[in-house]
Amino acid sequence: MRTEVIVRHLGYILLFNGIFLFISFLISFFGGESSAIPLLFSAITCFILGMFPMIFVPVSEDLSFNEGVIIVVAGWTITCLIGTLPYIMWGGEFSFTNAWFESVSGYTTTGSTILNDIEALPKGLLFWRSSTHFIGGIGIILFALLILPQSKSSRIVLLHAEMSEISKSNFRTNARKVIFILVLVYFGLTLSETILLMFAGLNFFDAINHSFATVATGGFSTKNLSVASFHSISVEVIIMVFMVLSGIHFGLLFNTFTGKSQNIFKSSVTRTYILVMALGIIAVALKLFTSGTFNGGDSLRFASFQVISLASTTGFANADSASWPVFTQIILMYFTIQCAMVGSTSGGMKFDRIFLFFKSIKKLITEQNHPNAVVVIKVDKNPISEQLINHTAVFIILYIFIFFLTTVLLTLANVDVMTAFSASIATIGNVGPGFGDVSSLGNFSGLPDIAKWLLSVNMLMGRLEIFNILALFYLKN
Amino acid sequence: MVKKIKNKIMAGFALLITILIVAGSLSIYEFTNMGKSVISLIDDNYKTIADSKTMLEALEREDSGILLLLLGRWEQGREIIQAADSSFLKSLAQAENNITEENEEEHIRRIHESYTNYKALWKRPIVDTEKEGNIVWYFETLHESFLKTKSAVNDLMELNQKNLYHESTQLKNQSRRAIMPAIVAIVSVIIFSILLNFFITRYFVTPIGKLTEVIKTYNPDNRNYSMDMGFNDEIKQLEEEILNLIDKITRRQEK
Repeated sequence: MRTEVIVRHLGYILLFNGIFLFISFLISFFGGESSAIPLLFSAITCFILGMFPMIFVPVSEDLSFNEGVIIVVAGWTITCLIGTLPYIMWGGEFSFTNAWFESVSGYTTTGSTILNDIEALPKGLLFWRSSTHFIGGIGIILFALLILPQSKSSRIVLLHAEMSEISKSNFRTNARKVIFILVLVYFGLTLSETILLMFAGLNFFDAINHSFATVATGGFSTKNLSVASFHSISVEVIIMVFMVLSGIHFGLLFNTFTGKSQNIFKSSVTRTYILVMALGIIAVALKLFTSGTFNGGDSLRFASFQVISLASTTGFANADSASWPVFTQIILMYFTIQCAMVGSTSGGMKFDRIFLFFKSIKKLITEQNHPNAVVVIKVDKNPISEQLINHTAVFIILYIFIFFLTTVLLTLANVDVMTAFSASIATIGNVGPGFGDVSSLGNFSGLPDIAKWLLSVNMLMGRLEIFNILALFYLKN
Repeated sequence: MVKKIKNKIMAGFALLITILIVAGSLSIYEFTNMGKSVISLIDDNYKTIADSKTMLEALEREDSGILLLLLGRWEQGREIIQAADSSFLKSLAQAENNITEENEEEHIRRIHESYTNYKALWKRPIVDTEKEGNIVWYFETLHESFLKTKSAVNDLMELNQKNLYHESTQLKNQSRRAIMPAIVAIVSVIIFSILLNFFITRYFVTPIGKLTEVIKTYNPDNRNYSMDMGFNDEIKQLEEEILNLIDKITRRQEK
């Protein structure tokens, strides 16, 4: 393992963060805000620490898998650490724990916040907060891969370490093209949403911040009441459309936009994902209407937004679902566990794994009824390997075990059961809001510090798909 | 990547110095701003709060003076009232000259108005008139006006107290912003030192060790020396020169 090569790659990541910090500084500087100096100093620190390894370490042509894993995990950790700098330097509600939580929540696109008064933040800091979503949404490593001159083998190693095996299933092309497609779709969606939100009446600042948060499936808003503060159905509809799109595999979206055959309409996973979401909306809307919580129109409006927001792991809110009937909360909680599709910007369990899980149940039943039959699981006529099925089953069990363990540990820190359970699944799923004290219009500030640290580990686990972090403990030279 | 060892070390130290200079400059800038904020805190709010307190005290003394007049003690009452009136007007004038907050002017205008009305009530003779000993007149007319003036002064004081609290919270954040660059710089310098030590060991000490090992194990029968320094810097040149030297010595020995 070549430490110097790892350090050089971490330097690239710092430089990349430095660019966004500098843009945030410019916003603060021209706005005459108090966050200008914290942002400037953070940017300079990033640039200097990022440039330092480049003085000594020559460009490396190849990377080993172990080096790739360490670059990804250490890259995310260092990025989250650097992300805390502007927060702790600015002050306000940010203690070190709070700044770390906010930073991890931003980069992992979770969208959980510790802020009681978001609108008290200077615009530069709000932009930085949204930028962490934008950087983390597609993965800081992929951004670095697009920009940096890497050899083919290095690119493949880093791409494999950053993306899960299942995520690559819909990409039938080389590593460079995969990165190109991901970034093109990402920028395309962000730009389109920003323009549409501006047409719907939002100013440029709110539009771009909400686009960053939507396309990254993050959920940080510039307003205390999230999307509810705009009181605009058109804004909500635009955000809903982009939340759905951002939750779908980017390769399939690219194919759809470019008129290729393997598109979202032909993907059985996408069709089922949309169908499950539609059923969820109908169930929640009917319950809201029949329980007299809202009238017909509002029931459909709030149900659609909240279900899509949680199913895509975005976490925006247009109503306080904590006061809704328990049935609707259970449905919403299911979507918090299910998460969005692989190959999208979302984290957590991913719908594709649940899809494969149910397919493997069907396979087991068929094999029980016909002991001699050779049953192969297929998705869109493509056979799925046994190894991938096993991997999926282990992942789901591990995922459930981790959020159960976190729930237990949170209750040990005197957090109530509802808050502990929903906060655990909302953070490991990179969704954001939960129920109880951490509901859609609430925040995580009231939790004890130890709980915030636990949940931030959960967020990183969810983002890095657990195995990458666990792989660190099994690396051999 | 920088090629020469000298330049590499210089560039490394230049970055180190840059971070220290930036951190130092930003800390100095924030501390200077903090100093200005403390002065403006005193000028803007604290002085007006002190003036408001003096005005309240003067009003209370005036009220005591009026009660003495009602009791028929003219001389003693007038003396207290005149001293309190002078003190009140002096503080009011100071507050008027220190309008720094939004709505502060409106508050001072209210104090002026209510105090003028209040003063008009006790300015006229009380002793040896029907007002002497008239508690009903005192409570229904004079005391009402007194409370109105007192409330206007209290409002001015509250406005400045709120701003003082707000400013001191800002000051707390400012002090944090002044200290943090230094803390971050210290942490960065520690990271720098660890990395610099690592790079020097990896790229300078280890290759020199390798060269020493090669020279130590020099054997005229073995021409196959390869040190593979990898980088095109002075150590690479040294490697080439040593290999040339070994080659020359071997040839000379062969002759």
